Amino acid sequence: MYINNILSSLKKYKFLMNQLISRDFKVKYKRSILGVLWSLLYPILTMTVMALVFSNIFKFSTPGVNYLVYLLTGLVMFNYFNEASNLAMSSVVANFSLINKIYIPKYIFPISKCLFVGINFLLTLIPLYIIIFITGTPLNIYHLLLPYSFVCLFIFTVGMGLILSSISVFLRDMFYIYGVVMTLWMYITPIMYDIKMISEELQIFFKLNPLYHYINFARRIILYNEIPTPFTFVICAVTAIITLLIGVIIFKKSQDKFIYYI
Amino acid sequence: MIKINNVSMRFNLGIEKNFSLKLFFINLFKHKNKEPKKEFWALKNINFEVKKGEVVGFVGCNGAGKSTLLKIVAGVMKPTKGSVEKYGNICPMIELGAGFDMDLTARENIYLNGAILGYSKDFINEKFDAIVKFSELEDFLDVPVRNFSSGMVTRLAFSVATIVEPEILIVDEVLSVGDIAFKQKSEQKMKSMIKGGTTVLFVSHDIRQIRELCNTVIWLENGMVKMQGEANQVCNEYEAYMLNR
Repeated sequence: MYINNILSSLKKYKFLMNQLISRDFKVKYKRSILGVLWSLLYPILTMTVMALVFSNIFKFSTPGVNYLVYLLTGLVMFNYFNEASNLAMSSVVANFSLINKIYIPKYIFPISKCLFVGINFLLTLIPLYIIIFITGTPLNIYHLLLPYSFVCLFIFTVGMGLILSSISVFLRDMFYIYGVVMTLWMYITPIMYDIKMISEELQIFFKLNPLYHYINFARRIILYNEIPTPFTFVICAVTAIITLLIGVIIFKKSQDKFIYYI
Repeated sequence: MIKINNVSMRFNLGIEKNFSLKLFFINLFKHKNKEPKKEFWALKNINFEVKKGEVVGFVGCNGAGKSTLLKIVAGVMKPTKGSVEKYGNICPMIELGAGFDMDLTARENIYLNGAILGYSKDFINEKFDAIVKFSELEDFLDVPVRNFSSGMVTRLAFSVATIVEPEILIVDEVLSVGDIAFKQKSEQKMKSMIKGGTTVLFVSHDIRQIRELCNTVIWLENGMVKMQGEANQVCNEYEAYMLNR
């Protein structure tokens, strides 16, 4: 019944969602000469910088697999989460003038941001695959399983976006706090290093981080040519769905109060 | 048809002041014995019914609760107590151009704003020319709205908002916008919408307009219904009251 409600309102507001996403695209690239090309160029360039810094200056490496591909796989997925959760967090506050004047289901704003960054994410897969080809990393049939981890990452991000956007309405400090949290989060997620480089006791804590599992899922396939363990499958889905549920509950409980705080 | 059942609306004053990171964490741990907040009841036990096709005007001085009441009917706010029953699609003309993105062109904004107002894509495609024609902005369709004058923005917004034939129309002081010529045109348009058999809730400080357009008038005072009845009668009382204050 409740699910039915959501689905019918999603259908009703699909066009609005489309418009919001295409607005984001237009506004983002409107005044730049290269336009949408930046969606491809920007990740390529930042990833190149990261790769140069970490493989040449810090001499990071991952035994047995190509470090560049290792780094980029983690980076692409982490960047998605970082950008989408940040945009989703500010989406409700940013659209206050609308929320105050007309009835629109408020969850549309964080979700449309997650989708918008999601389209950018799919574009960054192009440079990732180019690097995979150039470095001669072999492809395998398991690549078809990758969307599973992307979907989990997306669901997790939507959940986080719902949580963050509702908290930030009541607590504007959240924008700063989350900036700090993200910096920490970036370092405790094994993006530029291998989790095996850390002591065993610490590894347990690092594995509480859902992002580690989504990235690990993708790396198992892309780098190690193996199917992720059943445990990885389960943990990815469970963390994503639990986060989404928490997000939905928090958002639903607080959304009627938004209007008094914005 | 709209039915307002015993609606009350409470605002907490001083929310800004009382909210800090420190207090947030303190309140997190002690749920009970909160300090009593300063409260303000914008609406107190409002009851009324609007029949289909009826045009209801709201009068009252600033801060009487008129706009809050309209926002509750539009679904923007939920009442603290009581309930609102409404049947039919609502076109809220509370503030025009709320959904405009200044970086987009007029053409793009027509679609965006239409989507926000709940129109479908086909509907906008079909009505696009009519919207543009009414706004008289044919030559500026591909100009970013950022470069528009404020009059042009409201003209565009008005044209998008009034293209529908809603079953319930909520109007908060937007009867006329733009220069003299467009003002007349927009007033004509509003009048034809109002007379076209829709149910209208109409807030205005212009008593002349209220007398002209409304069947019934509700006079709000400090969040309560002070008087309710036939338009001319309530307007006379209200004017006499305001002049003798």
